[in-house]
Amino acid sequence: MISLLPLSILTWLALTGWLGFNPVETAQRWTGRVAVIWLLLSLTCTPLNKIFKLPRIGRLRKPLGLYAALYAALHFAAFAVWDYGLQLDTIWLEILNKPFILLGLAALVILSLLAATSFRYWLRKLGKKWFRLHRLVYAAAVLVILHYLLSVKGDLFSLRGNYLPPLIASGILLLLFILRIPPVNRLLGE
Amino acid sequence: MNNKKYHSVPIQPGEVTPKNIYNSRRQFLKQMGVVGMGALLASCAPQGFSDNTLPEEIPSDFGTDELGNSLTSYQAIAGYCNFYEFTTNKDNVDELAQDFVTDPWSVEVGGLVDNPQTFSLDDILETFDQQERIYRMRCVEGWSMVIPWVGFPLKQLLAAVQPTADARYVAFQSALVPDQMDGANSGMFPFPYLEGLRLDEAMHDLTILATGIYDEPLLPQNGAPIRLVVPWKYGFKSIKSIVRIALVPDQPPTLWNTIAPQEYGFYANVNPSVDHPRWSQATERRIGETGRIDTLLMNGYAEEVMPLYEGMDLTIDF
Repeated sequence: MISLLPLSILTWLALTGWLGFNPVETAQRWTGRVAVIWLLLSLTCTPLNKIFKLPRIGRLRKPLGLYAALYAALHFAAFAVWDYGLQLDTIWLEILNKPFILLGLAALVILSLLAATSFRYWLRKLGKKWFRLHRLVYAAAVLVILHYLLSVKGDLFSLRGNYLPPLIASGILLLLFILRIPPVNRLLGE
Repeated sequence: MNNKKYHSVPIQPGEVTPKNIYNSRRQFLKQMGVVGMGALLASCAPQGFSDNTLPEEIPSDFGTDELGNSLTSYQAIAGYCNFYEFTTNKDNVDELAQDFVTDPWSVEVGGLVDNPQTFSLDDILETFDQQERIYRMRCVEGWSMVIPWVGFPLKQLLAAVQPTADARYVAFQSALVPDQMDGANSGMFPFPYLEGLRLDEAMHDLTILATGIYDEPLLPQNGAPIRLVVPWKYGFKSIKSIVRIALVPDQPPTLWNTIAPQEYGFYANVNPSVDHPRWSQATERRIGETGRIDTLLMNGYAEEVMPLYEGMDLTIDF
């Protein structure tokens, strides 16, 4: 339920005009940030459960991931529908010419696939393959972070620009990956 | 190359509007209950911005640019802009910049000139006739506005200081006052903000130093008290709150070109066929309108400024 809060706020802001003078850009930025945060939160559930034995937190992994996929889809909709009015030829050119959009789109494809197969039916049908398939979430997370880093104005290599938010996100993802290295992971369980 | 070469542009009918006409229109629009912004914003503007730092709205229906584009509302111009010394958030520059001290102000003009001078703002307003120019402003981020500037051609100021024969470029520097500028301390950008033009670009009649918008003095967020406006280039070339202008022999360093030369060329001419890795340069979002419109070569000033770039490959020198 809390996951719907950003969407409600966004809708309310849009209706009251508080998205500012460039509402398309604000909506794109907002949905993108929520998607990143929700995805990282989803990936934090398992380690938290392991360390602090909080099964209730552990169970949030799936809904948080699903909402991350929802916000990623809204983020793309803000770009393709609101901004570009579904002019497919122009959108296609943008995607081809701008690597960061391509990375984001790849992440969205993965997240959508995982959301579509998140039902119990697919878990039963795919069995072991389901778990392997859903490991793709890590690939999606890497793509999302790269997409975020490349979307910032400035120069990544000399770190001149507003890189603090995407770098914090990168740091968190790195930490989450470290916690999943098998020896570290075993330590967590003890 | 002939540095003095430029093409004058006739002032369009309706470019100079007396303030009483603004005011009568303001009355009219208030009665009509119309706000010159998109429907989305129109519904909320009166309450939404009442407690904000935005100025009272000035109706924008008194004229258009020479292509028939209606003007962007004063609230949008004052409420949405980039001024990274204050913040990277375009929506709250107005709040963070409101205490910026712009009086007294002086602009030092020197370098390769016979008659270096330091002008106070009053000197500038007295010496140079202020005219109104309606220009399109295209940000490299893919949004644009139509702005009624008040200002004067830069060439008049340059004539006053008499550039020497060795002067080939003009370098500009913004004010840097860290205790009044929150964003200046982030370390993320190598301030002070620097910009530059080739001398013939600086001498072009379209290039102005602006001191006002909508017949009002510039607000801090818009580059008070004096800024450059080069309408055929991306907005970041139009440096704000200028404290120093120098005539120099070589191409001067500029902030965005220094940070990411592969993305921001020195020339930074608006060009729909030179793409940017993040934003579409083929189309743009006009603030206050919905949907995208085509971006024009040289922002629609190609006829006037293309002679400046004869023989140059604009996809290389972008």
